[in-house]
Amino acid sequence: MSDLAMYDVVEKEKKQYIVVKIGGEHYGIDISYIDNIVRMSKITRVPKAPSYYRGVINLRGEVVPVMSLRRRMNLDDDEFTDASRIIILKLDAGGLMGVIVDEVKEVLSLSEDDIEAPTSTLKSKNSFINGVGTNGDELISIFEISSIIGENDAS
Amino acid sequence: MDVSQYLDIFIDETSGHIQSLSDNIMELEKEPDNKDVVNEIFRAAHSLKGMAGTMGFKRMQRLTHDMENVFQEVRNDNVKVNSNLIDILFKCLDAIEGYLDTVKATSNEGEEENEALIKLLNDYLAGAEGGEGAPAEAAPAEAAPAEAAGATGAADGPLYKRIPVDPELCEKLKGEKQLYGFTIHINKECLLKAARAFLVFKAVEEFGQIMAFDPSSGDIEDENFEFDFSFILSSESELEPIIESIKAVSEIDSVEAEKVTGEMYEKKAEEPAAEAPAPEAAPAPAAAAPAPAAAAPAPAAKAPAAKAGSKNQPANKPVTSRTIRVDIEKLDALMNQVSELIIAKNSLASQSNASGEIDHQTLHENIEYLERITTNLHESVMKVRMVPIESVVAKFPRMIRDLDRKLNKPMELVMTGEDTELDRTVVDQLGDPLQHLLRNSADHGIESPEDRKAAGKPEKGTIFLNAFQEGNNVIIEVGDDGAGINTDKVRDKAVERGLVTPEEAENLTQKEIIDFLFMPSFSMAKQITDISGRGVGLDVVKSNIEALGGDVSVKSVMGEGSTFTVRLPLTLAIIQALMVEIRDEKYAIALASIMNIENIPVSEIKYVESKEVIHLRGQVIPLIHLDKILDFEPKESEEDTMTVVICKKGDTLGGIIVDNLIGQLEIVIKSLGKLDNNKLISGATILGDGEIAMILDVNAVI
Repeated sequence: MSDLAMYDVVEKEKKQYIVVKIGGEHYGIDISYIDNIVRMSKITRVPKAPSYYRGVINLRGEVVPVMSLRRRMNLDDDEFTDASRIIILKLDAGGLMGVIVDEVKEVLSLSEDDIEAPTSTLKSKNSFINGVGTNGDELISIFEISSIIGENDAS
Repeated sequence: MDVSQYLDIFIDETSGHIQSLSDNIMELEKEPDNKDVVNEIFRAAHSLKGMAGTMGFKRMQRLTHDMENVFQEVRNDNVKVNSNLIDILFKCLDAIEGYLDTVKATSNEGEEENEALIKLLNDYLAGAEGGEGAPAEAAPAEAAPAEAAGATGAADGPLYKRIPVDPELCEKLKGEKQLYGFTIHINKECLLKAARAFLVFKAVEEFGQIMAFDPSSGDIEDENFEFDFSFILSSESELEPIIESIKAVSEIDSVEAEKVTGEMYEKKAEEPAAEAPAPEAAPAPAAAAPAPAAAAPAPAAKAPAAKAGSKNQPANKPVTSRTIRVDIEKLDALMNQVSELIIAKNSLASQSNASGEIDHQTLHENIEYLERITTNLHESVMKVRMVPIESVVAKFPRMIRDLDRKLNKPMELVMTGEDTELDRTVVDQLGDPLQHLLRNSADHGIESPEDRKAAGKPEKGTIFLNAFQEGNNVIIEVGDDGAGINTDKVRDKAVERGLVTPEEAENLTQKEIIDFLFMPSFSMAKQITDISGRGVGLDVVKSNIEALGGDVSVKSVMGEGSTFTVRLPLTLAIIQALMVEIRDEKYAIALASIMNIENIPVSEIKYVESKEVIHLRGQVIPLIHLDKILDFEPKESEEDTMTVVICKKGDTLGGIIVDNLIGQLEIVIKSLGKLDNNKLISGATILGDGEIAMILDVNAVI
């Protein structure tokens, strides 16, 4: 009985993450931020917007801005493939925003023990990561959503 | 009765009545003898009082009641209207508005008693009728029952000394060994006063026997008392433990107690009230009469107030008016169109059921029909959202009157077009900017009477506010016949603040100079007054208006006055737009800002100050290469002619060069979410095929 109870407690501390691939690295996005995952659709450019915003898409009749995470993190520019997806995030301030990823891998449950805070060398000023989780041999960087969508121009 | 559900209506109607009162009091000041106005005022004050009473807002009710008294006397010609009275009345209105604001914020009326105002009102009444004696006496006494009742408690020492004791009881009292007199003050918030009294009696009866009550025990049980009661206790115990046990009862504010003797009461019983100590004599009878009257309505009003309060208070969330009053005719029109929509749907449905084959002719007709209905429906829904700007501008005459007094500059406000309608959301946001412009005119625009006389103008300054519709825009002009903007001074100030070099300043146009006034913290006031001149001003006005999709411009003639023109879009959500193409992207330009469209040979481009312009029908129009602004690659092959969409922004024209015209379309404006603070793009729209097109903000481009 006591074992079962213990198990319950541990289970509660686990959070679910969607694991995505961007440029060979794995990243985790807290599932509670995610509204939806959609295939690539036509992105309409918005003139004069920050460069890491690729534009807007039509999501069920709503206009939703889409951000390129690669551009945001100063990586090589996106190459859209069949595996590319737009992850629609729910913003705290209300409204939606999409981020483009190369591939969606899986859903993963990680407990807080599985996630290490980034060391000071990893945690640069422009970091969008608030932890590194492990899944077997793989390292999964956990996105800090608020800093990605924040106004601070890192590009 | 739970009245919280009526709170919205109360707020709505109270603002209406306050406005009507304000208007009519202004009217009354101009025509003190106009009986119709007085009647109107009386009605509004009466309704206010009634509503406040129903909602249980006792303090508000009391103030309005006293105002009503004044109007009553004015109506009966017992009181003359003068500007002093008008001032008092306006102060009362402010106080009522204060109550209303508190109600909005907390669902309760708050604690402000406004005793000073009520006293002013009553003094005015008393002063006006001074000689007549009797009625003057009656009016204030009746008007301020609570005050009088309160006074008896506060001013005249412990109440237990004045417990009426008949001689028979007196004899009995003398026989007792030890007597205590008690006066208990119950908390004013207390709901069940009788229950508290009962608990108190129960507590003290453990120590001895209660010999006398004031008010009588029956009245106490029926809650027929204000917030205090007294009794005489015969007990052999010490005083302290008794007081302790009384204080243990909750919601007791304070306890006054002392040893008394039967003799004290004997004296009083024998000597009639006339011989009682002088200060007591006057208020006591006055209090005696109205007190029961006051006590009766008091609990009645109190109970629902407290109930409404307790219902709402936990959340204590502000009540904002999200309601809108709609003319029933507008709703009828809406209803008709909806029934037409249903008919159209049915005919489409029957067509699809009839046979496998589709008759294209009929289908086309039906779609056209549907299109007409949806357009009408849109128009009707927009009309429902439209409210006259009256609701915001109505308070301005009063404001100008106050400024007149404050600044010692005679001036009046002339308003036209108050019935001009705008979208509700726009109207709500319009108050502050307009108020600011008016204050600006009053403070900076209008000169002192001496200066005006010297300039050969009438001493009384005129401030005007004109509203009218122009195409898909509503124009509101705010201006004055004052001194106008001294552009030289503005220029000097701009140079002084380092905004331009003296050389640059020489070449500035008048318009460019005036634009400095819209810069943040650019104040021209020589000294800071509390009316305007803190430098937070025109820039805020400008940004407020621009947030509503409008713009502000200024015209000024030295010595003749200045006019601020506010231009606002009629509706927000759906607009008629011209769809244009640039390379492979589609853009929408609001039709309302388009003057005309021209095909112009490239050879006609001329240069003014090395800027490209065209000369068209006597007007010089600067050209705007949209592709350059929107960061497109320059076109590879130049064509012979170009398509120019000529747009206007106020009086300014601009020719926007586009690649292709697509056509006119009714578009729904969607927000860009995170990207909304875009300078050139005012929004996006979704086209019929699901594609997104950006909406060009013409005001930013030109």
